[in-house]
Amino acid sequence: MTTVHLPLEYDLKAGWLSPFVEGLTQGRAVARVCAACGRVSFPPLRTCTCGSAEGEWVILSGRATVITRTSGLDGDFALAQFDGADGLTTVALQSTATVAQSPLVLQASDPPRLVLGLEDTA
Amino acid sequence: MWDPQVVVTGAAQTPFNRRKDGTGPRDWAMLAFADAVAMAGVETDQIEALYLASESDFFALQLNPASILASELGLTGAAVVRCESGGCSGQSAVQMATLAIQSGLISHAAVIGLDASASGLPGDKIRSLYGFSFDNWTDGMTGLTATALYALSWQHFSAEQGLGPRHLAHVTQQNRTNACSNPDAHLPRKDDADAIDASPLVASPYRRLHCSPLSDGAAALILSHAKAAPRKTAPQVVGIGAATDHMHLGARSEPGSFAAKQRAMKRACDAAGIHPQAIGAAEVYDAYAGAQLQAVAALGLSEQVDQDLSSGAFAPDGRCPINLSGGLMGQGAPAGAIGVAQVATAARLLEGRYHGALQPSVPPEYALADTHGGVCTTAAVTILRRSGGL
Repeated sequence: MTTVHLPLEYDLKAGWLSPFVEGLTQGRAVARVCAACGRVSFPPLRTCTCGSAEGEWVILSGRATVITRTSGLDGDFALAQFDGADGLTTVALQSTATVAQSPLVLQASDPPRLVLGLEDTA
Repeated sequence: MWDPQVVVTGAAQTPFNRRKDGTGPRDWAMLAFADAVAMAGVETDQIEALYLASESDFFALQLNPASILASELGLTGAAVVRCESGGCSGQSAVQMATLAIQSGLISHAAVIGLDASASGLPGDKIRSLYGFSFDNWTDGMTGLTATALYALSWQHFSAEQGLGPRHLAHVTQQNRTNACSNPDAHLPRKDDADAIDASPLVASPYRRLHCSPLSDGAAALILSHAKAAPRKTAPQVVGIGAATDHMHLGARSEPGSFAAKQRAMKRACDAAGIHPQAIGAAEVYDAYAGAQLQAVAALGLSEQVDQDLSSGAFAPDGRCPINLSGGLMGQGAPAGAIGVAQVATAARLLEGRYHGALQPSVPPEYALADTHGGVCTTAAVTILRRSGGL
């Protein structure tokens, strides 16, 4: 047997998704509004489910309602409905949010992640 | 309908398990390939193309594996290509080879599926790699796992269908019981419902025993043009179909439905000129216990999943036995080999060549191999028909 160590450090570019990715670092939910059908996608779809690739960026409130959640050794995750978005979004749940009821809010995270947690009411 | 010209002349696989014997993927490929060639009754120099399915270069740290295997297997000079579509890779390779032969340009092709999904890296590293199967910039960046995504999808499906832990246990026990009669199986186990409930919770409601294992192994097929086939009893490839769904689970109108599989199945059935009810045995992509039931519904093999499961319709002596091999949960899951092994199992069942305890005394007329990648983001199904010469 031969053991190989392969440390890899990627420098990945978000390209057209940059507004969405940069928004996550600030806790802002940057979505895409389709110019053809008006559907709001979050995460943003470059090509809408209607087939159109024309659209504009829009900032949602970041509040979301958990529809289904799963927990266990792999962590805490959910399909959530963001206010103002059509369709659902796959998110990680902060540990403090796993037993809380909705609404939850998008958390600022660096590196960028889709994470929901409790609203900071302070 | 199309005019089917392709037959499965060779079908073989290695055991699926976690290798501890010092062998590597090239050894497994050679074993499966040699058995398939022997069954096919063709010479190696008659094989004009090699289609290799392997999901990730990182499992064995070998890029460009198709070219290397061609030399290893004595296929230097053949056309080679590597096919990759995540967990669907093996079935994609089968379909590419089928189309090449169907075109009339070649007479014999080898299809090999393999992956070292168990022994090359620690399990947590393999699972981390699988996490990169999902969109890096959205689902992937949440850190979620395949099990978590499947669990979310299952929750939507089970709520619609009125299914629950009892049904997950039924599938788990059936598949692993079937595996007990399959000498190539990774997990031949008989766990009762209490043992399943006591296994660690990975992503609710999925527990460890509801999940397919990480396995090593290879499978091989020789596909031939019917006019060039040495054996007249070789089963025909009568229908193929493939489709995709949206990569984001949340962007799908029904996150619990496997729409890509439904579409792929319709295309395959249209090609074969049959309805799903004609299928008499199916190897179905059961990455998780619930995924098997989601697949059964999408494939049109059942309109009443609860009722058909309870009545034994999918048991070995039922109207459509599902995963006689044990499926991914019982036989194992070396990613690139899965779809190839499923077709190999279907072909052997139709020709009466499968493991004795699992071989139906009267082979069905049609058998199905169903594979997908992602949470059924990419789907491909292949329908085989028993040869009239049997």
